[in-house]
Amino acid sequence: MRLALAIGTFFILVIHGVVFYNQFFHQWERNQHAYFDQARVLAKTDVERSTLASRKPRIEQIVVSNFGETRVDRCTTCHIASDDPRFATYAEPLKAHPYSTTLGDAQKNGKWERRHKFSEFGCTVCHDGQGRGLDPEYSHGKDEYWPEPLLGYTTQENWRKDFAPKLKGKEYMQANCAQCHTEIAFPGTPLVTKGRELFFSSNCYGCHRIEGLSDGTIGPDLSDVGKKWKLDYLWGRIADPKSILATSIMPKFNLKEEDIKALVVFLKSRKGRNFAETEIQRFKVKLTGGAELVQATIKPVHINPAEMVKQGEKLVLDRACTACHKLGDRDGGIAPDLSFEGLLKDGPWIYDHFKNPKSTMPDSIMPAFRFTDDEFKAMTAYLLTLKGTSPAGNGEAIYKALCLRCHGEKGDGRGPIAEHLDPYPRDLTKAGFMNSKPEARLVASIRNGVAGTSMPAWGKLLSEEQAKAVLSHIQTTFTKEARRELKVRPIPEKNPVAMSKESVARGEGIFVERCAGCHGKKGDGKGPNSLDILPKPRNLRNTFFVDSVDDRRLFESIQYGVQGTAMPPWIDYGLTNNDVGDLVNFIRSINQKQQKGGQHAAPVQ
Amino acid sequence: MSRPTPPKSSLLATLLDLPKNVWSSIFRNPLPSNDLERSATSFTNFFLHIHPVKVHKNSLRPAYTFGLGLISFFLFVILIVTGILLMFYYVPSTTQAYDRMLDLRGSVAFGTLLRNMHRWSAHGMVAVVFLHLCRVFLTGSYKKPREFNWVVGVILFLLTLFMSFTGYLLPWDQLAFWAITVGTAIAGYAPVIGKDIQFLLMGGTSVGQEALLRFYVLHVAVLPAILTLMIAIHFWRIRKDGGLSRPEDADPKIAIEPMEVAATKASVPEPKKLYGFQGLVRGPLTKVGQVPDNTVFSWPNLFLAELFTFVVTLSAILVLSLLFNAPLEEPVNALHPPNPAKAPWYFLGLQEMVSYSAFWGGIGVPGIFVLLLLGTPYLDRGPKGVGKWFSRDRLLANTIFITFVVANVIFVIIGTFFRGANWAFVTPW
Repeated sequence: MRLALAIGTFFILVIHGVVFYNQFFHQWERNQHAYFDQARVLAKTDVERSTLASRKPRIEQIVVSNFGETRVDRCTTCHIASDDPRFATYAEPLKAHPYSTTLGDAQKNGKWERRHKFSEFGCTVCHDGQGRGLDPEYSHGKDEYWPEPLLGYTTQENWRKDFAPKLKGKEYMQANCAQCHTEIAFPGTPLVTKGRELFFSSNCYGCHRIEGLSDGTIGPDLSDVGKKWKLDYLWGRIADPKSILATSIMPKFNLKEEDIKALVVFLKSRKGRNFAETEIQRFKVKLTGGAELVQATIKPVHINPAEMVKQGEKLVLDRACTACHKLGDRDGGIAPDLSFEGLLKDGPWIYDHFKNPKSTMPDSIMPAFRFTDDEFKAMTAYLLTLKGTSPAGNGEAIYKALCLRCHGEKGDGRGPIAEHLDPYPRDLTKAGFMNSKPEARLVASIRNGVAGTSMPAWGKLLSEEQAKAVLSHIQTTFTKEARRELKVRPIPEKNPVAMSKESVARGEGIFVERCAGCHGKKGDGKGPNSLDILPKPRNLRNTFFVDSVDDRRLFESIQYGVQGTAMPPWIDYGLTNNDVGDLVNFIRSINQKQQKGGQHAAPVQ
Repeated sequence: MSRPTPPKSSLLATLLDLPKNVWSSIFRNPLPSNDLERSATSFTNFFLHIHPVKVHKNSLRPAYTFGLGLISFFLFVILIVTGILLMFYYVPSTTQAYDRMLDLRGSVAFGTLLRNMHRWSAHGMVAVVFLHLCRVFLTGSYKKPREFNWVVGVILFLLTLFMSFTGYLLPWDQLAFWAITVGTAIAGYAPVIGKDIQFLLMGGTSVGQEALLRFYVLHVAVLPAILTLMIAIHFWRIRKDGGLSRPEDADPKIAIEPMEVAATKASVPEPKKLYGFQGLVRGPLTKVGQVPDNTVFSWPNLFLAELFTFVVTLSAILVLSLLFNAPLEEPVNALHPPNPAKAPWYFLGLQEMVSYSAFWGGIGVPGIFVLLLLGTPYLDRGPKGVGKWFSRDRLLANTIFITFVVANVIFVIIGTFFRGANWAFVTPW
C-alpha cells in the first residue's frame, strides 16, 4: 500500500512537470527569441542592439474595433517580424508581410508605406483565422470546429479530399476585401465581380435570394451564406449538390472550375451586413431592390433579328436552361422535356411563360428570369423550331419516349421529375380512377392534354390510334384491372342554378363548410388536410383547368366523388343538385379573370 | 535595568525550537505509536475527526466498495478547486463567454489544463456517482437503518446531474447551446408545469443571455451550496447509522447476558472498562476491547486507503486532461442547428426514449425510475441480504434494478453512437 502510494505520488509529480514544461516553454517564445537574435545581427546601432537585448518575449496583440465586433488579434506574437521589411526573405513565421501596390501600399522616399496598417486593421479582418489563439493549430483554424480558417491558406481535416487542394490560394481573400470594397467592379476583387456576373448568367438568382440583388424563393437565402459556411461546403454545394444533401433539388450546373471558384469567392463575400454599408445605404438598396448593381452586372445580349433562332439557341444553352429542362442529350432532371416545345406550344404561350411562368401555368415553380424582351423573343423563336420526331413503335415504346419522365417507369405517377410538378402526374396504377372514367375521356386527356397542368396535348404528335395504343399499354401493364361497364348516373348536363350573387354566396358557405378542409379556404388546394393526401386536392383557382371542365364533369366529381382519390361522393352526405349548382357557381366565380396566352388545351381539330 | 537579559543561547534555542513548537501547536499528537494515541490522532484533528476511531474491516475491503463514494467526493473537491480558478476568467455573457474560452485555451496560464480537469472530472463524477448508487443498491445497503441516507444519496445523484447540466451551457459554443436547448425541451414535456419549468430555467422562450446567467448562478452558487450541505448530511448519517453496511456474519455473535447477571456483575468494579460514545447511545454493544469485534484503527488503515484513492483519482484526471482536450465547438449560431442536436451524454438515454414518446421517454419512465429509487428502502422492507453483492435474498429487487440500469445504458449507447442526422439509425463504423 505504501509503495503504491509512493509510486502514485511520484506519478503526479511527473505529470505536473510535463504541465509546467508545456506552460512555460511556448513555441511563440522560441519564435520571439529567434527574432530578437536575428534582429540583433541586422541592427545598425548599439542603441538598437541593447534595446533588443533587453526585450523579453511577451504576447503581442492588436485590438481592432473598427470592423464589426471587436477583434483581438494576437497573430503578431508569432509573426513578430510581419512589419519589419528586413525580414522579407525569411521563412514563416519570421517573414515580413509583403508589400504590394495592389493592396494600395506605396513607396515614399524609398520606403514602403502600408495602405492597410496592421495597427488599424489587425490580421483577421482580411485573413480570417482565430485571432485570440496562440497555438498554430487553433489560431490558423485547423481544428474542424473553427468557422473561419485562414482564408485560402488553411484547409481543415474533415474537408473533402478532392476539394481541399482547390480551396487554397490568395485569391480567396478577395471575399474579405469585398467586405469594405463594395464598388461594382472594384479592380482588386475580380473574382467577386466575376462571381456576381455568374450568379446572374447562370441563373442562380432565379431560385436564390441575396439581399439587394435577387428575390428567388425556391432555394435557400444566400444573403449571409459566407458567414454560415466554409469554403469546402460552398464548393461542394455548387460542384456536387447531392453529395452534401441527398434531397437537394439544386441542379448540377456544368461549370468550369474557375467559374466555381469565382462563385465560391462571391458567395463567401456574402456575409449579411458588410463593413462599408451604413443603415441608410442598406435602406436605399432595400427600396430600389439593388437595381443599380443588377443593371451593372447583367450583360444583355444584343439580338440581331436575322439570327434570332441561332442566338436563341446559344442563349438557351448559355443560360443553363438544361440545368432543369431536358433538351436533346442534356437533362437537368427537374423540369419538362423541351424537345417537342415548338409543336406542343405556340409563340405567345412560350413568351408569356418566360415573362411570368405562373401566368400560363399557375403552379409552376419556374422562376421569372430577368432577361430582356429581345432575349426572350430569340429564345422563343428557337424553341418554336423544336418539333421533335414522332416516336415509332407500339404503345410501350411511345410510353417510354413521352410519358415515363413524368408518370414513371411503374406508371405510378412518380417519374423522375414528378415531384417538381404541380399538380402531380396521374397515378396510372389506381384502377379505381382509371376504370371510373370513360375511355373517350382518357384518350382525350392524352390527345388534348389537361389544361393548366404539365400534361401537353400529345394529339399534335400522336394519331388517335397511337393514343389508344398507349392507353391500352397503360391499362394492361399498370392498371391491370379489366374495365367494367360504367354506371349510368343522373347528372345534369348544364348547371341548373343560374349564376347570381346569392348563389355564389350560398356556394361559398357550403365550400367553407364542406370543401375547405382539403381544397383550402382560398380554394387553392392547400387546405390543412391536403398534406396527407395523394393525389393532392385540385387547385380550384387554376383558371385554365377550371375553364376547360364543363358543368357536367364538375357535377359528377362532386356528387359521385372521384374514385382513386380522396374526393368523396357528396351525394351521400346530403348535397342536393341545387347545392352543387351553387358550389359550381362559386368555383366559376373565383376564376372570372380570363387570361390570354397560348392556351395549349384547345381541342385538336 | 534589573531585568535579566536572556542569554543569547536561549534565543537561539527558541528559534531552533520554533518549527517544532509551531508544529506541535497545530498537531497536538505526535505520530501515534500506541492505540490510545491512534485514537487521539483521529479525534483531535479537525479533518480526521469525521472518521470513527476504529473502522470495520469489511468497510476497508476494496472489492466491497471500490472506493466509489470517496472517488465521487474527491472529484467534487477537484471540481470545486478548478471551478473556482476558472471563475476568475469566466464572464457569463453571450458576447464574452466564448472569447473567454478561447483565451483559456490560448493565453491563460494553465487554462487548458484547468478546463480539461474541470470537464473530465464533471463527466467522471456523473459516472462514478451513478456507479456508487449501483454499488449501494446491489449490496442492499439502503436497508434499515440507512433508509434516509439512501434518499439523501439519490438526491445527491440528481443534484450531480443538474450540476453537470448547468455547467454544460457555460462555454457558449454550439455543443453547449444545442445540448441545453434539447435538454430543456425534454423538461418541457412534463405535464401541466413542464412549460413553466422550461421558461423558468431559460428565462425566456429560447436559450439566450438570461438562460446563460441563470445557469451560471445555479452552477457556481446555488447548486454547489446545496450539494455541499447534502454531502455533509450524507457523511454525518454514515457515522450515525453505524458506519458502512456489512453482512450480518461479519460481526462475531455476542451473547447478551440476562439483566440480573449483568446487574450483579456491574456491582463488582472492573478495572479499565472502555466505553465508546457510540456505545452509550446504542445499547448492548458498548463494550470495547472485551469482545473480538473485527475492527481496526482508522490510523493508519483507513487514512492510507483514502489517501491512496485520492492519489489514484487525481492521477487519472490529470492524465486524462493531458491527453484529451475538452471539446470546444463553433461559437453559438442559433439559426444553424447541428444535425442531430444531442443532449449531454448522460441525458442521451432520455433523448433516445423521447424520440419514441415525448412524455413517456422524457418524463414518465425516468420519473417512475426516480420515484422507485427514492421509495426503494420503504418498499423493500426485508431485513435480509444486507452487505453482500448480488445477495440471493434480494433477487427480485436486484433484477428490477439491473434491468432499469442496463436498459438506460443501452439507450445511452444507442443515443451516443448509433444516431445520426435526423436521429436516424447509423452505425458508427
